[in-house]
This record gives sequence, C-alpha cells and structure tokens, in this order.
Amino acid sequence: MATTSRNIKVFYKQKKNTTTSTAKKSTKNPSHKDAAATFGSDITQATALASHGGSVDLKDDFDEEEKVLAQFDMNMAYGPCLGISRLPRWERAQRMGLNPPEEIESLLKGGKVRLECLFEGRV
Amino acid sequence: MEVDSPEQLQRKQSTYLSFDENFEIQKEVYRGQQYSQIYFARLHCMRALLYSLVPNWKSHLPVCTVLGLEEGKECIIVGTLYKHMKLKPCILDEYSKERSVAPLVKPHNFIHQDDYLVLEDESGRVKLGGTVLSPSVYVTGVVIALHGKETSAGAFFVEDVLEAGLPPQIERQLKSREDKYVVFVSGLSIGSSSSNPLLFQLLVDHITGHLGDEEEQGLAAEIVHLVIAGNSVEISRGLLNGQNLASKDQSRLSEPFKELDIQLTQIAASLPLDIMPGSSDPANFSLPQQPLNRCLFPGSATYNTFRSCTNPHCFELDNIRFLGTSGQNIDDLTKYSEAKDKLDFLESTLRWRHLAPTTPNTLGCYPFTDRDPFLIDSCPDVYFVGNQEKYETRLVKGSEGQSVRLICIPRFCETGVAVVVNMRNLECHALTFGMQFSS
Repeated sequence: MATTSRNIKVFYKQKKNTTTSTAKKSTKNPSHKDAAATFGSDITQATALASHGGSVDLKDDFDEEEKVLAQFDMNMAYGPCLGISRLPRWERAQRMGLNPPEEIESLLKGGKVRLECLFEGRV
Repeated sequence: MEVDSPEQLQRKQSTYLSFDENFEIQKEVYRGQQYSQIYFARLHCMRALLYSLVPNWKSHLPVCTVLGLEEGKECIIVGTLYKHMKLKPCILDEYSKERSVAPLVKPHNFIHQDDYLVLEDESGRVKLGGTVLSPSVYVTGVVIALHGKETSAGAFFVEDVLEAGLPPQIERQLKSREDKYVVFVSGLSIGSSSSNPLLFQLLVDHITGHLGDEEEQGLAAEIVHLVIAGNSVEISRGLLNGQNLASKDQSRLSEPFKELDIQLTQIAASLPLDIMPGSSDPANFSLPQQPLNRCLFPGSATYNTFRSCTNPHCFELDNIRFLGTSGQNIDDLTKYSEAKDKLDFLESTLRWRHLAPTTPNTLGCYPFTDRDPFLIDSCPDVYFVGNQEKYETRLVKGSEGQSVRLICIPRFCETGVAVVVNMRNLECHALTFGMQFSS
C-alpha cells in the first residue's frame, strides 16, 4: 500500500475534526491515487468510534463545544477524567489552583453539552 | 481520715476541639470512580509542596517531569513511588497455570531483595537505580523528590532523596501549664477469650477515682481525657461465618457490646472519652473508618462526654494537637517495608506527611475524588498508634523546631498497659494493671 507520510499522519490523527478536513482535501484532489485510501480509512475510523457507544452520535463528535470539552477531558494536568463528571473535575482543578479555562465552566453550566467525560459509558 | 470530707476533689478540665470532619464521609457519593483520582490529588498536593522545598535543597538543578528526562542530564524529578514486590500476593496468582510454586506458609513480611522502586507521575514512570534509595525502607504511595540522571538503560540513577519532612507546627505555650493527663488505651478486645474483665475494671476504677487514697484520687483528678484507640470488642469468628444464627447465639453477638457499654457509662459519667473504631470493631473496613454507631452504646451515648470518633482521629485539647490511628496504617507498613521499630514507621509517616501511604494499594480506603484526607498538613504535638505489641515512645524534633511525642499504645488485653501523657511537658509514662501477686 503506497502511503505518504502525510496520509499516515491524517490516518492516525486523534483530533475529532480529522474527518471533516480530510474530506475537503480528498475532494480537492480527486485524481490523486492516495485520496481513495485516505477517504476510506477515515470512514473506517468514524464507524469505529460510533460502534463503541452503541448509538451513532456523530453529531456530538464534531460539535465545536464538545471538541473543546474533549480537550479538557484529555488534559492530564487536571487529573484523570474517568469516574468524575466534567463539572466536579473543573471545580476540583479550580480549587487546586490549576486555573482551568473559565469558558469550560460556562459551557458546562450552560446545559447543552454532555456533562460526563468523553469515555463515560464507552470503557 | 473523715469519710465525708468537706472538700470534694474536682477533676480538671480542658477545652476540646475535634478535627475529624476531614475523615468523615458525609457528602461523598460513590459514582464508580477508581483510585486514580485519590492518587492524583495526593501527587498534586505533595508535588506543589516539594517544588517549594527544592530551591532550598538544590537550587541549581532543573526540575522536570518523567517524560522530560534526558540521558545523562542531572535533574530533579518528583513523583509517586511504586514498589514492585516479588512476594506481594496478587489476585492473578490464583489463575496462574503453575500451582506448585505457591508457598503454603504466608510470610508476615513481603520484602524480598529483588524488590525495586519505580517513580511515577502523570507523564510516565521510570525505574529507579543506585544505592541511595533502599527499597526496603519505602512503600508504594510515598511522594518524594529525587536528584539524579537517566542512564543509558532507561533507568533513573538516584543520587539524593528529598522527603517532605515534618509539617509546620503551631507553637504551643507549654511552660505555664499545670499537670493535666490524657490516658490512651487500645485493644481492649472485650468478648475475646484472652481479655480479662478485671483489668479493664481496674483501669476504669482508677481513672474515675474509685481506687486508692486521697493522694491517688488527686492524681486521678488530673486526668482530663481518655482515648480508646480501636479494637474495643472482639466477636468470635465462629459467629461470623455467614450462617444464620440461632437465637441463643444472637445474644452472644451483643454480649461484648453490653459489657463495653457498662464500662463506658462509668467512664463517661466521670470524664470525656473518645472511642475510635479498629480493625475488629463493627465499623467499615476501609480507611477512614467512620465513627461507631451510637446505638451500640445505649447507656454511655446519652452523656455528652461520650464521643464516637473516626479512625484516624485528630483533636485538640487546650490547643495541643493529637493525631493518631488504631494501628492499621502501621501494621500495613510492617508488612511491606522494614524498620528498626514501630516508632521508626511512625516517624516515617510524619516525614512523608502521609498517615497511610500504602492506601489504596494494600490498605483499603475510600476512593476520594477531590482530596486525600490522609495528608498531614499541620504537625501534631502527640502522634499515636494503637494496638501495637508493646509500649514505646520517642520525642522527635523537626528541622524547624517542631517537636512531636510519638507513642505506640500496646494492646490492653495482652499487656494490661495504658499510656498516660502529661500535657504540660508532653512526657509519657505507662500505667500497668496486673493481677499477679508476687509471692
């Protein structure tokens, strides 16, 4: 399989916006022989994510706010994210003097986002 | 001597403040969290503390995380210790294919010369090498700072160690005080075949002033507080095997409590008393053990001098801070590390600023998410541990003028020894009760 380093990076990229950006890239170079491989592998990645949760909640995965909150979940400076809800974890970080971003608190208190961490129910 | 002398001896009193809220589980709700949260809280607090101490120790060296280690570069890393122990019992041993090597006799101490230490933080872990750090002295869960460098093999060669040291202590004005005594007793084990009810009755009679002449009663009047540090009852194992109890056996279950309550009522009528749960008491298993239920003490709980406390227990009498446990923390250290005596273990926990560093690894504890309640923020004046083999005591001095009286309280049912501390000078002596008359 002929894959350039650019395609490997795209395939293994952990960020949620991978699919949307590479979909754009693929349409720009429809004649590129690697485009098919890239596009196909991203679809595989997306379905793998959906099958974990049992329900196809792809909309949540690409929501801007959810991306920001997922980054907050993944940040090791605030401790492990499993077993604690996002708002208590933010408050704990605040109490410990870690200065978590204020916008996370307002997002969580706004009430339109998932209050549980990224992996809740999936592990 | 007149029977009804006009002067009645008044018992001395002291002000009492409890600091047990830290150990109480009132608002905690278990949401299925794992122990990673409590380890994170512990590492975060201790690391912030150690970072503040590093400039006074070795200011010229850079501090980095485990992942930021570079080969050959001398630096300081801070993290939680993990001790890999060959002999430590593992649940997976039950499933191993080779059954023949399993020893039939369980060792009381799991140390092996092949044990090694690993330092861990959020970014990664690194094996520790060198001879400065002796694995037998340390246990999993201690947070320390290490000076050294990474070797080509990927291990961290340790050149020096920094422990947190004794916490800061609030200065007490001790000199102008009068003699006031606090009595510690543990391991009454009422209900066990080896406990002698007369010994405990002698103790109660002495403390309440029913023994001896005026001079001895005068001494008893200077006792202001009694602390019972765990294992007050012992229920026979045969009753707890999960079978339904016949009605005559059911009364056997409650006999020890009735006996204890009778004694405690006599004490509570006379002076304030604190009772802590221990490993054999009907309280929860994991630390911090919650106070024994007041229904167990229908007679004594009516007195406001009766206090059911947590294990660990922290309180202040006349501004002197007392901190201690019923023994589970030190017993666990005994199993997984080595020291000359129990007082060394006690001192180590103070230097590591953690009451029970082996929680939750080998000692059960509640999975707190936002704090580690066993961290010692303020140095106590008296630090005790109950249910030990013998009475031992030592005065420990810290680098910033701290002074702590360490006490190992022996099991009363085996030794008949209670410990008395004088709050004026923190001196300590043993009170021995016996029934052997020398011929």
